[in-house]
Amino acid sequence: MEHSPALREIQALFWRALSGSVDPALEEVIVSTPALPSLARLDIYAGMYEGRLHDVLAEDFERTAAVLGKERFADTVRAYLAAHPSEHPSVRHLGRHFTTFLADSSPPDAPTWLADLARLEWQRLEVFDAPDATPVELERLRAVPGAGWAGLVLVPIPALEVLESAWPVHLIWRDGGDPPPAPTSLRIWRQDGMVYHAAMGVLEREALARLRAGQSFGQICEALTDLEAEKAAAEAASLLARWIEDGLIARLA
Amino acid sequence: MFTDCPHLGHGIGLRPKHYPEMQRGVRADWFEVISENFMIRGGRPLAVLERIRADTPVVLHGVSLSIGSTDPPNVEYLAELQALIARIEPAWVSDHLCWGSHGGRYAHDLLPLPYTEEVLAHVIDRVRRVQDRLGRRILLENVSSYLTFVHSSMPEWTFLAAVAQGADCGILLDVNNVFVSAMNHGFRAEDYLTALPADRIGQIHLAGHSDRGTHLLDTHDAPVRAEVWELYRDAVRVFGPVSTLVEWDDHIPPIEDVLAEAERARVAEAEIVRASRGALSRTA
Repeated sequence: MEHSPALREIQALFWRALSGSVDPALEEVIVSTPALPSLARLDIYAGMYEGRLHDVLAEDFERTAAVLGKERFADTVRAYLAAHPSEHPSVRHLGRHFTTFLADSSPPDAPTWLADLARLEWQRLEVFDAPDATPVELERLRAVPGAGWAGLVLVPIPALEVLESAWPVHLIWRDGGDPPPAPTSLRIWRQDGMVYHAAMGVLEREALARLRAGQSFGQICEALTDLEAEKAAAEAASLLARWIEDGLIARLA
Repeated sequence: MFTDCPHLGHGIGLRPKHYPEMQRGVRADWFEVISENFMIRGGRPLAVLERIRADTPVVLHGVSLSIGSTDPPNVEYLAELQALIARIEPAWVSDHLCWGSHGGRYAHDLLPLPYTEEVLAHVIDRVRRVQDRLGRRILLENVSSYLTFVHSSMPEWTFLAAVAQGADCGILLDVNNVFVSAMNHGFRAEDYLTALPADRIGQIHLAGHSDRGTHLLDTHDAPVRAEVWELYRDAVRVFGPVSTLVEWDDHIPPIEDVLAEAERARVAEAEIVRASRGALSRTA
């Protein structure tokens, strides 16, 4: 490179060098010393780039990384960064394509549930910094007149997500192992700054789906129509009590 | 001292590991937070920050402004920064004199610039536009570097001073970065300090680094090294008392240890200030 290269040109070449592809034209414009030749200097930056982003993903997907082991996770991160370089100023968003990447191009011999485990970790992160809301307290519900219940809409907090999987990923998250498939519905939520997740039974899954779709309490109760009337009322009361206790309801409408 | 930055004393970086202590009311003189970590919608980090901000000064320190990039300025990022400024009301706002994005992609690193007239004009223009957008002057920090460009036509300190004067912004002087770069490129750290305009220095950073044999690496994972403490004393001699912050980002120790480093900076600054006053009174 005989002329003084323009800044844009240098930045384009430098960017490629971060992934290990060093153009001789870039090497030429970097001061080289016997102790630290220009290639070695560029290599410092390439190492920091990969190392830093690896550490971000290893923290965001701690259990997924543990399942893959050190080398396979590092290889996966390298491939992921090549396919999905960060497009956001905050590293918080670096992993936003990681679960689909794992689902589409699973590392060799990775368990079939790996992408779902990663999805649980990512959804926990989404819930961690979701918008704030002050949950409704039981007293507020007690003040609702009997006639108002059927049309009552329970608006959920923003920090609430649902995950569906063919595997018990919550058990893998907690205990590791490789359990057999089992249809699993999890609700993931934040309460007092802490993130939790819990498995839901069939009835709660259906009721919560209706709640999240904006249906009224009367419509939510219809999810329980397979039960005897007395049991349905008890189940509805029990679900509502649990949701209130877990701080899932932001307001009544 | 840069007039936008009052002397707040000796602060520390706010890190999640220390949130429990923060919630119990443990405080430094002031806190610096990484802006991007709080460009979020809600949750515990923002709650902790707002609680601290209620009784203690906070400054915002960004890592992704990418002021030297040839990409168009990221207007969404600036809008988020502006919203965070409105929410936190920081004592001041800073970022780095470097680039870190290209083609809309982010390296999440502080990459070095060539120091030429062309790049100087480019950076000055970008800083002015950012300051116009934010409605306030910002501080730019010198970064540690591991390479320089053969076509640079001026030393880093001349470039930094020219950016500050040309764009009318402040300087966040990272004393550890000066030391690291001086060792990596073979210049005298003292030359760097004496070339900077004192009226632009708004804040000082201190941090630990690692010796990798062929070079020093700015790792922020250890106590401040003795040589850097010595350079800090030189900086106080040259610039007088300036708000100083100890950074610690990896292998973060208990809060008491980080506060002890900030206290060490306070003692070092006080010694130099006392000595300077003594020297002045003897010459009067």
